[in-house]
Amino acid sequence: MEGVAEELERRIDKLRAAVRQAIMAGDRTAAAGLRRELREAERAWDEAVAGLAQQVVPAPRGAGALLPVREQVHHALTLLSVPAAPRLIGEVHRAFFAGDIVGARLTSLRRDEERSFRLAPYSRPYYLCAVLSADVLAPARGLLAVSTWPLERRIVGPLSPRVDFLTCAIRVAEHVERLPEAGTSASRLLWRFAANIPGLGMDPGGAATAAAVAAARAELAIHAEADRSHRAAGAARATEQLDDAGRFFGTPRQRANLPRTARSDPREGAS
Amino acid sequence: MSDLDARLARLRGSAQPKRHTARTIAAMTANPGCSRRAVLDAAGVDKGRLATQVGFPARFGQSRFAITRGNAFEAQIKADGCAELLSLLREKLDLPLSEVGYQDLESLGNESNADRHARAREAITNAATEAGTLFDHPLLRMEVGGRAVYLEPDLIAFRLAGRFHVVEIKSFPVIDGQADPAKVAAAAIQSAVYVLAMRTMLEEQGLDPATVSHDIVLVCPKDFANSPAVTLVDVRKQLTVLRRQLSRMARIEELLDLLPDDLTVDPRPDADGVPTATPEELGAALHRVDARYAPECLSHCEIAYFCRHEARGETSALGRAVREDLGGIESIDTALALARETRRPTPEQEESAALLRAAARLRAEVSA
Repeated sequence: MEGVAEELERRIDKLRAAVRQAIMAGDRTAAAGLRRELREAERAWDEAVAGLAQQVVPAPRGAGALLPVREQVHHALTLLSVPAAPRLIGEVHRAFFAGDIVGARLTSLRRDEERSFRLAPYSRPYYLCAVLSADVLAPARGLLAVSTWPLERRIVGPLSPRVDFLTCAIRVAEHVERLPEAGTSASRLLWRFAANIPGLGMDPGGAATAAAVAAARAELAIHAEADRSHRAAGAARATEQLDDAGRFFGTPRQRANLPRTARSDPREGAS
Repeated sequence: MSDLDARLARLRGSAQPKRHTARTIAAMTANPGCSRRAVLDAAGVDKGRLATQVGFPARFGQSRFAITRGNAFEAQIKADGCAELLSLLREKLDLPLSEVGYQDLESLGNESNADRHARAREAITNAATEAGTLFDHPLLRMEVGGRAVYLEPDLIAFRLAGRFHVVEIKSFPVIDGQADPAKVAAAAIQSAVYVLAMRTMLEEQGLDPATVSHDIVLVCPKDFANSPAVTLVDVRKQLTVLRRQLSRMARIEELLDLLPDDLTVDPRPDADGVPTATPEELGAALHRVDARYAPECLSHCEIAYFCRHEARGETSALGRAVREDLGGIESIDTALALARETRRPTPEQEESAALLRAAARLRAEVSA
């Protein structure tokens, strides 16, 4: 299968060049014919690649990594305890666990998890799911969460990005504290957090873990209460308006805040 | 769909309309007398593609590398709940610690522009009276040439002490407190577009438009590193310019009334997306719409090379200063004939002719 795809890629490249040459030469009929061939080849390539994906899914042999990517993401998210963006997840994994998470595989992760849940709900111990915005209950851009967390934690209100940032900082600092000696990527990660917390200097050496925790807790205390109420209100509405799949993955195709029209039907299978 | 919309859709043809951005509106105000630009922009024609189709591809545009760099810098500033932006605003503008709200008003998928604009309006008018600090990607609307257009939002509205500021993230560096003046000017006029659109929005809601500050927050990389710096830029001057130019821009209906009803620049793509309209047809259609070419057009209008070709031999192609000096003399040939005294000037050309003759005499003396 892989050989077929490679063969097609070479063919597509050749056809593209031929289309370009035909256009430059002003030969419209030849260009149109070549374009049709190009579409054919691209369609065949799509099919070949879809076939590859099916081959890979049952046996995810990650190059170098010993665990499937969803487990790696789960580890990182469990350490952080709050929703996080793929970039941060990757950095945390690099700093505290062995190996890199391949960024390209994170992009399709949420969709794969959603498909799996909709086909056979609750057949896995946990799912990596979306985070819903508190106002419209739509999936927030680029954030991942774990389905076993309470619903309040999987909802973001206007203050939540900051609250989650500070919580991440505390968790990372505590984890660095527990390590016998922090590696460079761990201390760099901590420093990145510390640089944006008030009361801590920008000095890389000065980001002592205890101080970071204290400073982050001090700011967190200002926002925590208001954020909790936003999230609770959003969670209450989500419980009322959405079904299980909707609460985990959102209903991007509907305005979820419109009363009663927002119920998603899991059989739709829309991603 | 109104008559006007149908007419503009016919002019544009089958392609999807191109969205307005602050960049295009800022560029539009640079040459408000040009009907060609006004009509094509109102119809949402992809001018870059059209220019290629008529054989005058635009040789400018933002470089891919600049766009990637800009996006990366913006992502860095906004990462982790705008952590870097918040630190900067706290440090520079004394933003209180409690002000950390961040609301992303980005599209929810297949939401219509009107819905998305309504969501942005609701969030921002709520914020004007209640809470909220940062509002990312609010879709704004603006009246251009008698027609409401949606602005592709590339801004954060930021509320401090009851006033809104527009935050503009740009990736050109501020080195030792100095930035490229041309780039700052371009950023300022783009931000002014946002300020004006936000003021209009608040005014429509019966709120005080002065709530939107004329000081915009410009975030740029500092010196040679990637760490950001914040500067407040006063855009009052740009606002005045913008408002005057927008009101001067002829209304689209009036411009369309002068044009034949069946005029179109539709490339008529076939099933494979190959245009079937010939460059000559498209060119002829374009010639029907009056342009006002000036050399400055080359730096901000995709179709300028076509207009320059058309304006060859006219005094206006030499720049605004020349056109004003030679008022009443349209073509370069006439100007040369008057200078060489091979042609008798009409009474209204007398003054310019005297100037030309003097210039010719001086030139002859110098080169003799």
